[in-house]
Amino acid sequence: MRLAVLIFLVLGFGLLRLPLETGLEKAHQAAFFRTAKLDLSLRERIGQSNFIAALSGFRAPIADILWIQAHTAWEKTEYGVMARIFDNVTSLQPRNFYFWDNAAWHMAWNGSVFAFENPKQPRLAIRTKEQREFFDLGEDFLIRGIRNNPDSYQLRQTYALFLEQKRHDECGASEQYRLGMRLPGAPPYMERAVAIHLARCPGSEKVAYDQLRNLWLRSPEERKPTVITLIKALEKQLDIPEEQRIYKSDR
Amino acid sequence: MSTTPIKKRPFFSPARVWAIAGNTLTELVRLKVFYFLLLFALVIIGSSLFMIQFTFQQEFQVLKDASLGAMTIFTSLLAILATANLLPKDIEDRTLYTILAKPVPRFEYLVGKLLGVFLLLLISVVCMTVVFVIVLWLRQTTVLAQVQAEFSASPEDLAVKVREVRAAGLVPAIFQGVALIYLKACLLASLTLLVSTFATSAIFTTIVAVVVYFIGHLQSTAREYWLAGGNAGWATRVFTALISLIFPDLQLFNLVDDIVAGNAVVLSLFLKTCGLGCLYIIFYTLAAQFIFVKKEL
Amino acid sequence: MEIPAVSVRNLTKIYPIPFRREKVVAVRDLSLEVAAGQVYGLLGPNGSGKSTTLKIVLGLVTATRGTTEIFGRDSSEVESREDVGFLPENPYFYKYLTGEEAIRFYGKICGLKRDYLEARIETLLDLVGLQDARHRRLGGYSKGMLQRIGIAQAMVQEPRLLVLDEPTAGVDPAGSREIRDMIVGLKARGITVLLCSHLLAQVQEICDRVGILARGVMVREGPLEDLISIENQTEVILQDATPELLKRIEALASEHHAKMLGSRRPQTTLERLFLEETEKK
Repeated sequence: MRLAVLIFLVLGFGLLRLPLETGLEKAHQAAFFRTAKLDLSLRERIGQSNFIAALSGFRAPIADILWIQAHTAWEKTEYGVMARIFDNVTSLQPRNFYFWDNAAWHMAWNGSVFAFENPKQPRLAIRTKEQREFFDLGEDFLIRGIRNNPDSYQLRQTYALFLEQKRHDECGASEQYRLGMRLPGAPPYMERAVAIHLARCPGSEKVAYDQLRNLWLRSPEERKPTVITLIKALEKQLDIPEEQRIYKSDR
Repeated sequence: MSTTPIKKRPFFSPARVWAIAGNTLTELVRLKVFYFLLLFALVIIGSSLFMIQFTFQQEFQVLKDASLGAMTIFTSLLAILATANLLPKDIEDRTLYTILAKPVPRFEYLVGKLLGVFLLLLISVVCMTVVFVIVLWLRQTTVLAQVQAEFSASPEDLAVKVREVRAAGLVPAIFQGVALIYLKACLLASLTLLVSTFATSAIFTTIVAVVVYFIGHLQSTAREYWLAGGNAGWATRVFTALISLIFPDLQLFNLVDDIVAGNAVVLSLFLKTCGLGCLYIIFYTLAAQFIFVKKEL
Repeated sequence: MEIPAVSVRNLTKIYPIPFRREKVVAVRDLSLEVAAGQVYGLLGPNGSGKSTTLKIVLGLVTATRGTTEIFGRDSSEVESREDVGFLPENPYFYKYLTGEEAIRFYGKICGLKRDYLEARIETLLDLVGLQDARHRRLGGYSKGMLQRIGIAQAMVQEPRLLVLDEPTAGVDPAGSREIRDMIVGLKARGITVLLCSHLLAQVQEICDRVGILARGVMVREGPLEDLISIENQTEVILQDATPELLKRIEALASEHHAKMLGSRRPQTTLERLFLEETEKK
């Protein structure tokens, strides 16, 4: 009889805590906790025992183990395997910016170079195509990473670097630095980088010059060689009146 | 007529509870399985020092994940194993009769036993945390020295690097994660105690507690499915409803993975999570008392 | 009128069997009283309801019907156990505690104050003769020593009532004698003792009153002397009686319509013989 009453008490307690649990879960997710979606597709990708371990509160160690496997695959230049593993790792740990960053680096930098210099592929056109596929893979990791970690300046920085070095998109790079420079923990040089890349973005030279000038006037710390060089070049290029120039034309 | 100077029996005696708790702790600390599990956890934590040298972010992350993962396994297992045999052993040895034949309310006996387990878990968590913090601090100090040497020419770059190393290393939020690991273990212990009040053997209690552990991590998925409605049949809805109402949501306490990833827990959210954990513990303890108070011994 | 130490009135205990309709009646309409200062023996074969009765008196099991009281207080109340000490059958205690630590533990849960408790530990260790073994862990104690430490923990809070379940079971004759002597000493101090035992010879030596249970029912109960006396027989013990004298006594008995059933030498007991022989060494 007491057991029967206990069952009712447990169910009653369940009803009582239902709004508390639901509210707390929402609060966790709003604070970017528990955003990993552990669904059946992941179970098929990582296997049953890994899935059960991940479900049982060992998501992070499983992700680390898989990431180490990815590292091993990298040593064997198995970039296809790496891409699959990184997909699983980022599914398990979507809030770890480092995994997205690392995955993007391996795909967009290492993988693309490997594909372009693949001695087993004699045709340049195919090598170039495969190189671009790796660029796309890397960019995809960065975009998804930023979506899961909107507060990560590191991912914005890496994306900016990607756009600059792989897509040769200075305007895009500048925009990414601009989006990242106000995020928590962002280093001061990101603000400089906004202006530096903007200066190389066709049609934005004047805006870039204004920003560089403001930085130069703000503090001697900002007067890095790149900034000085660009200010001089832009003052000349934009034909800034002599009296408004920081660096007079005879210097 | 007895003239024993006994203190007037209060409604609830913390001293009596503490005496039972201390005795329980002494008993549990002598369990061989405790030393085996603790050694295992410490080996995992310590061996992280010798892992393949990756970048400092990778190394710190693997160290934290392995250590906190070991702590989670150890405390969860210990909570279940230590608690499952408390009542059966006292009944089998008849020591329970000698205790309850004294003026000891059954509730104080239960609370004292549970408190002994909580103390054991606390000591274990503190030991493991100390080892983990020392290992992490040593590595962080080494990496900071390397960074100082490498970036000494550029103060701005050095400041950024130092900040990155510190953000990846020993951060205060880790201790919030450790606190939640401890709280989850205490919840498992109180739930195991409840099961042991009506179970027929320690093995049955252990198995049920382990099953609850796994289903507890799926409870949030079942709850989400139940509350979302959708096209599920009535049997599925009843099943998911029962899972949601009967089992605890243990995922609520699994914040340590995201903490290690760099997500800090604001104090209010941390306190709310702890509050819900305490609510579970109180309910399971009271439910255990509800069964135990009328248990025929 | 003095309040009885134990009062059991119309006690019935029925255990349902799970998943079956029939039930087990462990105790049926039992009534008994143990006066303060008495040594009461509760006897009966295995399964007669002795242990169940004791457990109900101690509040460890709930009665189905009837009442049990200890010195006038309902035994289901926790307060009633302030006056009770209990030694269960074949107890094990906590192996890792020393004798001294075990008594201290039980004293603490009784709420004894520290100074008093320390003095009490000394007294009890002297009483049960375990001063030399006080620092040894209970895991290393013999059966007799465990029983004695059990009596010590039962007495830690100076209870007015001691309940002992098979106090000498498994103990050697010397130890058994010591425990029996201890019980006699407790009685002399006015402590009531309620004990269960299968060792009838020992019960006969120390109990004032006995109750015999069979299948949950009290079949005989009363003062020991009255119960074991054979009413229509008289025992006469003579010293240096000759065979002729015995013949004359037999003839005299016949004249008065009595009958001499037999004559034999009184016997010592095997226990006394054992003790005399072993203590010589």
